[in-house]
Amino acid sequence: MIRPFAVLLLIVASISSATAAEIDFAHDIVPVLRQHCGQCHTGDKKQGGFSMNSREQLLAGGEGGKAIVPGKSGQSDLIQRLKSSDKTLRMPPEGDRVPADKIALLTAWIDAGVKWEEGFAFKAAAYEPPLQPRLVTLPPVVDGRQNPIDRIVDAYFQKNKITRPQPSADAVFLRRVTMDITGLLPTTDTLDTFLADASPGKRSQRVQDLLGDDIAYAEHWLTFWNDLLRNDYTGTGFITGGRKQITTWLHRSLVENKPYDQFVRELIAPTAESEGYIQGIRWRGDVNSSQTVEVQFAQSISQSFLGINMKCASCHDSFIDRWKLDEAYGLAAIYASQPLEIHRCDKPVGRKATAAWIFPELGQINADAPQPERLKQLAELMTHPENGRFTRTIVNRLWHRLMGRGIVHPVDAMHTQPWSSDLLDFLAVNLAENHYDLKQTIALICTSEAYQAQTLSLEASPDNSAFIFRGPLSRRMTAEQFMDSVWQITGAAPARPDAVVVRMKREPQPTTPGARPPAEVQAQWIWSYADSGGSPAGESVTFRRQLKLPVAPLQATAVITCDNEYTLSVNGRKLQADSNWETVETVPLETALKAGNNEIVIVAKNAGASPNPAALIFETRLRMPDKSEQSIVTNSEWEWTMSLPDGNGKFKQAPTDWKPAVPVSSPETWSGRVGPEMADLLNQSGGSVRMVRASLVKSDALMRSLGRPNRDQIVSMRPSDLTTLEAIDLANGQTLADDLARGAANLLADGQSPSAAKLGRKLFRAAYSRNPTEAESTVIQEVLGDKPDEQRIQDLLWALFMQPEFQLVR
Amino acid sequence: MSNPSKNPTDLAEAVARRTFLKQLTAASTAALMSGAPRLLSAGEEQVQHPKPTADACILLWMAGGMAAPETFDPKRYHPFEIGTPVEKVMSTFRSIDTAVDNIKICEGMEQIASVMDRATLIRSHFQPDLGSILHSRHQYHWHTGYVPPQTVAAPHIGAWMARVLGPRNPVMPPFINIGQRLEGIGENEEIKAFTQGGFFGSEYGPMNLPYPDEAARAVRPPKGMEPGRFENRQKFFRKLLDQNPQRQFMSDYHQQSMLRSLENAHRLLSSLDRDAFDLSLEPRESYEKYNTGRFGQGCLLARRLVESGARFVEVTTEYIPFVHWDTHADGHAAVDRLHKEIDRPIAQLIRDLESRGLLDRTLVVIASEFSRDMIIEGVPGSNARDQATAPTDILKEPKHYGLHRHFTGGTSVVMFGGGVKKGFLYGETAAERPCLAIKNPVSVSDMHATIFHAMGMSPRTVFDIEKRPFYATEDGQGKPVTELFS
Repeated sequence: MIRPFAVLLLIVASISSATAAEIDFAHDIVPVLRQHCGQCHTGDKKQGGFSMNSREQLLAGGEGGKAIVPGKSGQSDLIQRLKSSDKTLRMPPEGDRVPADKIALLTAWIDAGVKWEEGFAFKAAAYEPPLQPRLVTLPPVVDGRQNPIDRIVDAYFQKNKITRPQPSADAVFLRRVTMDITGLLPTTDTLDTFLADASPGKRSQRVQDLLGDDIAYAEHWLTFWNDLLRNDYTGTGFITGGRKQITTWLHRSLVENKPYDQFVRELIAPTAESEGYIQGIRWRGDVNSSQTVEVQFAQSISQSFLGINMKCASCHDSFIDRWKLDEAYGLAAIYASQPLEIHRCDKPVGRKATAAWIFPELGQINADAPQPERLKQLAELMTHPENGRFTRTIVNRLWHRLMGRGIVHPVDAMHTQPWSSDLLDFLAVNLAENHYDLKQTIALICTSEAYQAQTLSLEASPDNSAFIFRGPLSRRMTAEQFMDSVWQITGAAPARPDAVVVRMKREPQPTTPGARPPAEVQAQWIWSYADSGGSPAGESVTFRRQLKLPVAPLQATAVITCDNEYTLSVNGRKLQADSNWETVETVPLETALKAGNNEIVIVAKNAGASPNPAALIFETRLRMPDKSEQSIVTNSEWEWTMSLPDGNGKFKQAPTDWKPAVPVSSPETWSGRVGPEMADLLNQSGGSVRMVRASLVKSDALMRSLGRPNRDQIVSMRPSDLTTLEAIDLANGQTLADDLARGAANLLADGQSPSAAKLGRKLFRAAYSRNPTEAESTVIQEVLGDKPDEQRIQDLLWALFMQPEFQLVR
Repeated sequence: MSNPSKNPTDLAEAVARRTFLKQLTAASTAALMSGAPRLLSAGEEQVQHPKPTADACILLWMAGGMAAPETFDPKRYHPFEIGTPVEKVMSTFRSIDTAVDNIKICEGMEQIASVMDRATLIRSHFQPDLGSILHSRHQYHWHTGYVPPQTVAAPHIGAWMARVLGPRNPVMPPFINIGQRLEGIGENEEIKAFTQGGFFGSEYGPMNLPYPDEAARAVRPPKGMEPGRFENRQKFFRKLLDQNPQRQFMSDYHQQSMLRSLENAHRLLSSLDRDAFDLSLEPRESYEKYNTGRFGQGCLLARRLVESGARFVEVTTEYIPFVHWDTHADGHAAVDRLHKEIDRPIAQLIRDLESRGLLDRTLVVIASEFSRDMIIEGVPGSNARDQATAPTDILKEPKHYGLHRHFTGGTSVVMFGGGVKKGFLYGETAAERPCLAIKNPVSVSDMHATIFHAMGMSPRTVFDIEKRPFYATEDGQGKPVTELFS
């Protein structure tokens, strides 16, 4: 190999050019002093009357006189003692000597004048967050404000001499809470009903109703979780298979309101559906050692679930909190499937990491156990009832979303002191006591007077260092909330989602017959022959259905099961597989079916050791854009072959022996067991078509410019300000202009040319949940004129959407 | 991790890490150690910014890997002949004289040759071998100074200038990116990853203008909206705002900031400066001098924008996998076309800036993510997979004639104006394979430090992100090549 000698020379020269002038206090000096001298001369330790806590104390020296003469290392006792072999003089008095290169650093530092960073002192961190949960004694109820949050906050207000913020008006509350729980604007019907309702419990009832809209709730909070778990539908890594979505699992978990501890256990010790999170992003080519999938794992679980920033400690012992390189690698090693070399700043240190949990007080990982077992242990430790940091982190995130600022803030710096540890600890314990039900926590917050108060109007962003809670803050709509709201008013939502999700909830079957209107299963149980009661064990048959669709369906949820196993593929892509015939699966087909020719391929396999019954059933109801319905059901229109395709339902060589499928002769073998469940699921899937939410489609230029992140990194707080470039997009971008045009057309199509007053009222109520004032009505009249046309309506829509009143949740 | 003995760049990286975080500023250190949350902007304190020699920067990006031996660093030429051993061919273009005696460049760039007396030519730029030579990663590295992936989103160098130096003209976006489509092309997600403001946020991100001749649309009212209606709409917006009954929020900082941005946007969209975006306003004759296609138009647009006060403008030949400079087959023919595309507009840009008296304060940089070679992938000893199919033994067909392999050991960068020397040659690559930078090698960090230096920005400029220092050049290590400045 030829090596350019000149290059080497130059680089060697640049090493030695790192001179004394570049001695860096934080990274060259502090660690040396801390490691070799700290035990006796920092914090409350002052051996020989000598403390190094501050520069003053360091220069003052101790019983033996001055230790350091700035600018003169030769006269500095400290250096001499570090070098001395005299047992009475040497420092440290016993144990390892300070390495020569470190002494050289200290020497250079002294010669350069003992530069110190202003404000720095060797001492324990002022605040160390507690690990264990803490039961909070609630302060007494004041003025009938019973919500435990209010009991704590009222006492806090009293202590800090803060006047309680005024309660918000009903309409303000309704808009805010609807935005917060479902990400949508309240409909005008809801607004009317709510305002007319005189019952005292109507706000709490509204909170419950909103949380009860499982799909709307899930599809709003999906944005929060996608950011926090860096899940997306497209992006870096996906094209090379280096990354895997957890969308279907995540959406379902939110719809079902999966208890948070279980939710996290399923992410840490995952199934095939949820493993994308811990797998992280496998980048192509060599990566920095702090970005291997193992270290990503350590960083991600620490940040997502504990609000701990392990990014510093993945490179070197952290300078800003207590985490050490070995601890970051201990977490990484839990995930690692092979021995993991520890790297400091990308260079191997010559040690292997040992799988370990960062809070050994709660228990420890068995480092010798196989990886799946270690992950299970970690899942248990993370969600351990005594891990108060786990529950505090999530309740703090929820508080931040709902109130505009965390109890600990920023939310990923959970080592920061909360403004009320009582509130934080109460909410955390409350979550655990309520079976980790996140909706319960949201309900508790949203029904508090603290949440229902008017938002503050501040002249400056709240100060981080001495924050005092005075009331809720207004928040900017997320990109998704903005788009959803615009689409609600304009009707311009996209036709189909990109996310592969079942937009329904599997309700348990009603115990009383007739509780839900019956739906009939139209599909037939099929096989390659009718008498399938004694099919050979291990027999595999490929079934297919080819069909042409004039347009892609808006909604299509398939229900399917097979005795014993099946793999379902649509148009050359595997969608689902299962091997338990007694459970019926629901599979979203909207994104898989397209206009034109479609092919559904199901490989069905009989199991067992001796001949036994075998049959397959599949049904889906397509909702077409023209509101018509169409069904695809297993019957004799399906075909079968014994040839088997690849895992995606594709054949290397197209079989030529397709024969019609045969309805089996004894369908009752199966239909009695799973028929009612199938019927019920088909019934549930046939609900009205929901608006496609922004959270379910890929990001576009407008959403990106409104702050929807590229989900390569975890994001827990989006930017709170609208920027100029975003404002340009809002002022003249085509995407929004198109939505406005569709909106204007839809509003005019509604009836025969509405009057300006009527239209203005309608739009104000939809956008702001209030009627226009008289002065505003005059402006509306001016914009729309006597005969509102499309252009004028577009301009009014734009002017309404640009108002802070629209874009802020307050 | 790769073995340090493999190539010089690995060693350079090892050195960079060894002196890890050396240049932490006093303010950031104190805040770091006290653990106190700190405003991002506080990171700017105490950094000594050099005196700028340029006010604006135009980066002419040769996307896809511009082969130095086919452009600014001609090597031994051998014409195409079936049966020629590949090792005999180092350049597929003859070298030509330039306005500077000791500088020769490749045939096909006669116009640029005529303005080389205004240029500093660096032939010793090099990139790290990242194990697998991928355009997306190397482009990310070149544009941000950081090798992806990173735990935080690294800002583009244009975003750094936007953040630290700000706009020159308050209505003109400080970071404008011309010619790169971000949708509908291969690897678009990877391109988006560095075409952004990173942790600075979108305020400092690029204004993207993929089609120069449609740039006016980006600053014009929406399609079909005549100026009168646009102004009216804004007026109604103001009136509704003024009539809003929620008076208590009028002074709310959140509301204020939102309104300020909307106001800024409107100012640009209705200002005369927006004419700078409109190529149809350029005199026909002048337009035609530039018009070799989108890149040529982009150069013209960049000139107009800089004249109107833009801070940083990037014009790209556009990265699309296997297209333009990404020559994986038939490279000679492709580069012949590219010469025609870039030669006239670049030379014209330099002449125009000069005649307008802007060249001295505008730094124009021609750069690419790496070079190319006919035989070597990466650098010698690299474990990079050979991604080309052209034979490495004997030329058989015309489509084999060209530099089809990614080479990271020596790349050319050209700078004009902005305080750099005129007619100056810096660095050198070996005359024979491997054509590694053998004299005055310049890393990506040092290249950025040099550009920042010209713009009056310290390479140690640091921001606190997630309580970690993040520097304008990796770990604050970039050193400007001061010999380049006159």
